[in-house]
Amino acid sequence: MKRAGQSTETPQVGRSVPRLESWLKVTGRAEYVHNLRLPGMLYGKIFRSTLAHGRIKRIDVAAAQAVGGVHRVVTGEDIRKLIPEPYYGPAFHDQPVLALDKVRYVGEPVAVVLAADPHVAEEAAHLIVAEYEELPAVYDEVEAVSSKAIVHDALRPAGTFPDLKHLKGRTNTNVALDFRLRRGDPDGAMGNAARVFEHRFRTQQVMHTPLEPLVSVAESTESSITIHTASQSPSFVRIEIARLLGWPENRVRVRVPFLGGGFGAKLYIKLEALVSVLSLITKRPVKISLTMEEQFFTITKHASTFRIKSAVTKDGRIVARDCEVWWNGGAYADIGPRVTQKSGFTAPGPYDIDNVRIDSYALYTNLPPAGALRGFGIPQLVWAYESHTDMVARELGIDPIEFRRRNLLREGRPQATGTRMKDAALEKVLERVAALMNWNDAFDRGGGTVRRGRGIALGFKACIANTTSLAALNVNADGSCTVYTSCVDMGQASDTAMAQIAAEVLRIPTEAVTVVHSDTDVTPFDMATLGSRSLFHSGNAVKLAAEDALGKINQLRQELHLPADAAIADVFKKKYGMRAGSVMGAGNFIPPYTPPDENGQTDNATPFWMVGATGVEVEVDTETGRVRLTRLVNVADVGAPINPKIVETQLSGASIMQLGFSLFEKMQFDADGQLRNASFAEYKIPGFHDIPAEIVNEAVVAQQSTGPFGGKGVGETGTFGVSPAIANAIHDAVGVRLTSLPMTPEAVFNAISSNAGRE
Amino acid sequence: MSPFELAEPSTLAQAVSLLDVENARPLSGGTALMLMMKAGVLRPARLVSLRKLALDEIRVDGDLRIGAMATLRALERSAEARAGWPAITRTLRTLSNVRVRNVATVGGALAHADPHMDLPPLLAALDSRVAIAGPRGERTVPVESLYAGYLENTLARDELITQVTIPRMGKARAAYLKCTTRSADDWPAVGIAVVVDGEDVRIVLGAATDKPVRLTAAERLLKGRAADPKALDEAAEAAAEEASIEGDLHGSAAYKKQLVRVYLKRTVHEARRPIH
Repeated sequence: MKRAGQSTETPQVGRSVPRLESWLKVTGRAEYVHNLRLPGMLYGKIFRSTLAHGRIKRIDVAAAQAVGGVHRVVTGEDIRKLIPEPYYGPAFHDQPVLALDKVRYVGEPVAVVLAADPHVAEEAAHLIVAEYEELPAVYDEVEAVSSKAIVHDALRPAGTFPDLKHLKGRTNTNVALDFRLRRGDPDGAMGNAARVFEHRFRTQQVMHTPLEPLVSVAESTESSITIHTASQSPSFVRIEIARLLGWPENRVRVRVPFLGGGFGAKLYIKLEALVSVLSLITKRPVKISLTMEEQFFTITKHASTFRIKSAVTKDGRIVARDCEVWWNGGAYADIGPRVTQKSGFTAPGPYDIDNVRIDSYALYTNLPPAGALRGFGIPQLVWAYESHTDMVARELGIDPIEFRRRNLLREGRPQATGTRMKDAALEKVLERVAALMNWNDAFDRGGGTVRRGRGIALGFKACIANTTSLAALNVNADGSCTVYTSCVDMGQASDTAMAQIAAEVLRIPTEAVTVVHSDTDVTPFDMATLGSRSLFHSGNAVKLAAEDALGKINQLRQELHLPADAAIADVFKKKYGMRAGSVMGAGNFIPPYTPPDENGQTDNATPFWMVGATGVEVEVDTETGRVRLTRLVNVADVGAPINPKIVETQLSGASIMQLGFSLFEKMQFDADGQLRNASFAEYKIPGFHDIPAEIVNEAVVAQQSTGPFGGKGVGETGTFGVSPAIANAIHDAVGVRLTSLPMTPEAVFNAISSNAGRE
Repeated sequence: MSPFELAEPSTLAQAVSLLDVENARPLSGGTALMLMMKAGVLRPARLVSLRKLALDEIRVDGDLRIGAMATLRALERSAEARAGWPAITRTLRTLSNVRVRNVATVGGALAHADPHMDLPPLLAALDSRVAIAGPRGERTVPVESLYAGYLENTLARDELITQVTIPRMGKARAAYLKCTTRSADDWPAVGIAVVVDGEDVRIVLGAATDKPVRLTAAERLLKGRAADPKALDEAAEAAAEEASIEGDLHGSAAYKKQLVRVYLKRTVHEARRPIH
């Protein structure tokens, strides 16, 4: 493999090492599941529900089965013969491999046609006819709380999470989780406060849109199964497939090469159960590659409603905050209950508030399922609390940055959970975004039909707990090194970061390290590549593995009477009399964690805090409502950057992704739950011309004391502040406040018009 | 995508006769057709490629004559076209992206009849005519009369556009402006072409309506008064009133009417700017 220039420069960490895989990618040699073809392989095409909620009366597959070249058509009932309870999911075992008894959203998989030619399978899938008895449906997350339409007859918590156990068997409800946090006396503080402000915010359902759509291939024997899949969580896939089949884990092998983007879409279990079952039924390898458009019906980001209320003293101190959040989880819970809780507890924002109440609800509705999407619920929360915070500041006549400064959650102070802040550079991030925005300088406010404004927003996130990463490492006889990890490189450059960490410990060039991609027969357990956890968790595991190996090499140096700096190759040569042998290291990392009590209180809520702020300058066209970003500033606490260039591209990439969610991306449903814009002609994501002319990205000088070489995660940080910063800037420019995403030109124009009407 | 036959005739007569069957479609650049076939919206049994018909010449003999198979990129880069019809060159620079322009053809862009496309309103406003070949020889019609409705042209199934002729601009000035409401590279919500030709003003609206339409009431109000702000205000109101606009995913009818008002005025200003 050609490398991007060998280097022996040290230290390896803190250096912008070019990505190790870039040559493979630009020459088209990187391995992706999409390119995999196995002998005898069948292609599956999914037939999907056209109804949002209904009982399945009949599925007629005869015409599809009769098409020449069709191998077999499979329905949920065929799967039930193989697996009596074919339901999966990380939090709830609520999602059938193919629809059983009921369909719960438009686009739900109902049957699969298998053929050696994917075009034949696709044609035949059009011939399937399904009949349903229509049931009342619910789409809105707030209505779902009291709706007569019930999506699941009974709740089925997975049992792996203690805080979900009380929900088991609960009927006649769409509430999949009701997380609550209580601190101090919010009612008393509200009653005594000088001013109380209450607002309501909404976010819309959107999609991840990875360049590589979901794809999985399974091949099986009577006693083993191998799944090649574009997954962010191979270890979880193995556990879940083994559970469904009732097999030991060592008979299930999950291989993951490179991913063409993940963003949370490829987490937990998606197509893997389906291809596994189809392979076992047909005794042939089976591949399912979703089209870009089918992803709209697979996994999305939660729409949400957030009611937020703050009590403030005369001098601008927030003394109480009351937060009520409804998360629209769609028809299957996926990881929604975790979003509801793990993100929910940061709903009051990065402010020092003594009296807090949070109620956060995960709701089932008859829409496509929602899960994790770059931020794990945080962007929805920051949208509300940073819009609200700005509104309060402006209402009080206090500069928005000064208001935040007065209320900021400082190092060592307890957050709403009671956990004391540590290694969270909130002050630095706020001050740097203010400085980079030249906040105290005069600002050109435009004129005529183009008005200019600026705004900032600051968000934070607790990394998910309680999670484990393991890693193994082999130092070869020539001194090169192979790292074994189930961390998935989905484009975020984790291979390069893991190699840098191993190289730093072993004092070898990063380019002398190879990272073996996830293969559960080979690489050890890793919870998943999600929530910006991998640099910290997998990185710490790789560091421990490298230190373990280094210890053994140092011992050899001593035994062989070699100097402490003897080259690794010389150690092996002296030991074996020739080039032979290897040294293995193992690392097992799990950070400490205390589960919250019934009031959401804990002394250790998270292994680390992520902090991100965004500032924007905008131009608003007052005649059309069109908003143009002229400048975008992202500032983050990422600890000490392991690879500064990659940190920069993660920050800018995340902010551009969130820009699309802020200004135009939206899945639009009609009154029957049909998606009206399930194509990329009608669902637009940002292109080159949407990117602001100037983007500034900065990682503040910081250290994560528990992170590998002071580092921590960065993948989501750039998303936090973008939406509210834009809303705050629009308000600054034209005096109107948007409380619902996306902030389309029409919404801005209508707000300007009704504002003018009031004056 | 379902299987199909691909024919590659080398004469116009062969092409026309190959098209005279059920479910045959001409294939020029294919940038729109392939997407529709992949989506299953179109399932032609036969595609008749026009690639070997030698219809890609661009020449100026006073008028600008563009072969139907000339790519958008070739027209964009034509120095003669830029010298005589700069509004066309400017419009092409923001039409889709360079990868599409390298492949898509002028004839295809006219025949496709998607109202969101940029060239039809501009070429209609410039009084262009298309030559159409069919089994009974050739006819010519104004670009404006090519459209029956959304994705519906007025060509018979065995007729092909062979050439478009754009008359000399002389002292006339033209501009085309469009406005997107989602991403910058989205299909426009409104596209307006304006030609100011002495006293006369020609205005064609695209994107907001199901086919490109002349805004004749606005044209009458601006006759001889294109520089008069009051006339412009009246024309903007008239344009919003006369165009038949329905709400869609780009925006409500009321909002798109607002965009018509604003962009009518902006496009007239743009056409009258001295650089043209």
